[in-house]
Parts: sequence; structure tokens; C-alpha cells
Amino acid sequence: MRLDGTQRTVDGAPVTEGTDDSALLARAQAGDVSAFETLVERHRNRVYGLALRMLNSEADAAEVTQEAFLSAFRNLKEFRGDAQFGSWVHRIAANFALMRLRKRRQQGETLESTLEGDGDQPSFNERGSLVDAVSDWRDAEGDALDAELRQAIESAAASLGDEYREVFVLRDLEGLSYEEIAQLTGASVAAIKSRLHRARLSLRAAIDRFYEDRST
Amino acid sequence: MITCRDSLELLLEYAEGHLPDDVRARLERHFGDCSPCEEFLKTYRATPELCRKALAAKMPDGFAKKLTEFLRKETGQT
Repeated sequence: MRLDGTQRTVDGAPVTEGTDDSALLARAQAGDVSAFETLVERHRNRVYGLALRMLNSEADAAEVTQEAFLSAFRNLKEFRGDAQFGSWVHRIAANFALMRLRKRRQQGETLESTLEGDGDQPSFNERGSLVDAVSDWRDAEGDALDAELRQAIESAAASLGDEYREVFVLRDLEGLSYEEIAQLTGASVAAIKSRLHRARLSLRAAIDRFYEDRST
Repeated sequence: MITCRDSLELLLEYAEGHLPDDVRARLERHFGDCSPCEEFLKTYRATPELCRKALAAKMPDGFAKKLTEFLRKETGQT
């Protein structure tokens, strides 16, 4: 299937050979543009999602998606088969998104990279004992996600500082290793882990507030 | 003795299985004795998966069409 919804045919018959990513990649590297289009169609939603969550802007995410796939196309010949096409193009997109975030920072367009106060962090008494009660999360166990919960999570993720959000997106949404994130961001693994922990605490707190509000 | 504060500081390393055995064992003893921390751990662990579900995005149709047009133009197909 091509990007525009049509399917490549030979003498009217649909072409079905070599439809896994590595076969499509090999065909694309040999100059078959329709094979590249199929790869784009397969991966565009996740690449766009990565860029959207990192940049908090649909327009910027769309541009980064374009840049990432164009860069992938131009570098097809250099791509070696020891990685997955999806992983490769995701890293290209992450790099473009990070470059945009850096540019925004240089132009003073971003908020300080701090979380929203201590309200998202657990509270302890003077003996170091946890004083927060955890809400009932049993509804979260099903496959379907409540629309209001989705909105609460989207809002909490959007309000994370850039440095926290980029680490959370790359690790928890994209599954990159700490070493890969360190390579992309230039931060140390220790700093990345610290940011990720705080981001998770903040998101956990948002979900907990959602269930607490629902129960009252 | 390990406190709740100490335990929650170590949650990331614990959840990812990166703690030395002796520290992990002490932490697990604490979770066994402290139901608030045990509940906190469960919700901390559940958070990334809930976020993955909530934040999955689909490229809007208009963007998908523009992406196709853009790539075709840039790759010399039009």
C-alpha cells in the first residue's frame, strides 16, 4: 500500500512480495520509492507521536516528521541492516526534536526546566515516613483508557519541563537505553535517571489526583 | 533502618532491577512492612504503561497527506 492509499500493482495485480520492514528497506535502498512510501506509512504515526510529545506542538511535530523521513530517505544508502528501520528513523526524529528544543531554549522560548513545585513529590513526616494516601487505581487495570484520564496525563506530560519531558518520552514512551539517551541529549546517565524519576513521580501524582477527584 | 523517604528515592533503580542484592532485599523488607510504600510502588510501576496508552498519537489526516506530498516533491516523484 502506498501513502496515498493505492497499492502497487503489476499488470493489475497487487504486489505483495517483501513486505516486512527489512525487505522494504532493501527495495528502497535499491531505488524503489514505493517501498520507502510504505515504510513511511507504517512508521509515521509513531514518529509524529514522538515529536509531538517532545515538542508540545502539532505544527512542529509535523515538520520534524517531514525532516526525519526526508533525512532517512537521503541517507538510505548509508543505513546498515544491523538495526531496525523504525528504531533508526525514531532516533533521527528524536535528534531533530532535540535540536528544536535547544533552539527554543537559546531563544528563551521555554519555561525553566523545573517541575511544578513540590506538590508532585511524595510528602514525608519528620521521621521520613510517607504521609500521602494512594488513591484507588483499580480502574486503570483495564485495556481501555478513560478519556478524562487521558486528558489528565496529556496535560501533566505537557507541563513537565523540557529536560524532564524529553527524557520521559525517550525512555518510557520510546524505550531507548540510558546510554542512547545520554548520546542524544549530552546529559549524564545519572542526570537522566534523576530527571526520569522526577518526571514519573510528577505523572504518577497527576494520575493519583485524577482517581482521588473521581472518588469524591 | 530504611525509611519511606529512602525507599521512594530508590524506586527507579528498584523498578528497573538495578540495585545491589543487599539493598534490594532491605527495600523489599520495607515494602513488606509498609503498605503505603507498597501501594506507592505499584502505582509508580503502573505509570509508564498508562502514559504510553494515553500519549499514543495518530498523525492527523491533513498532516499525513502533506507529508506524502512533501516527500514526493523532495524525492523527485512529482
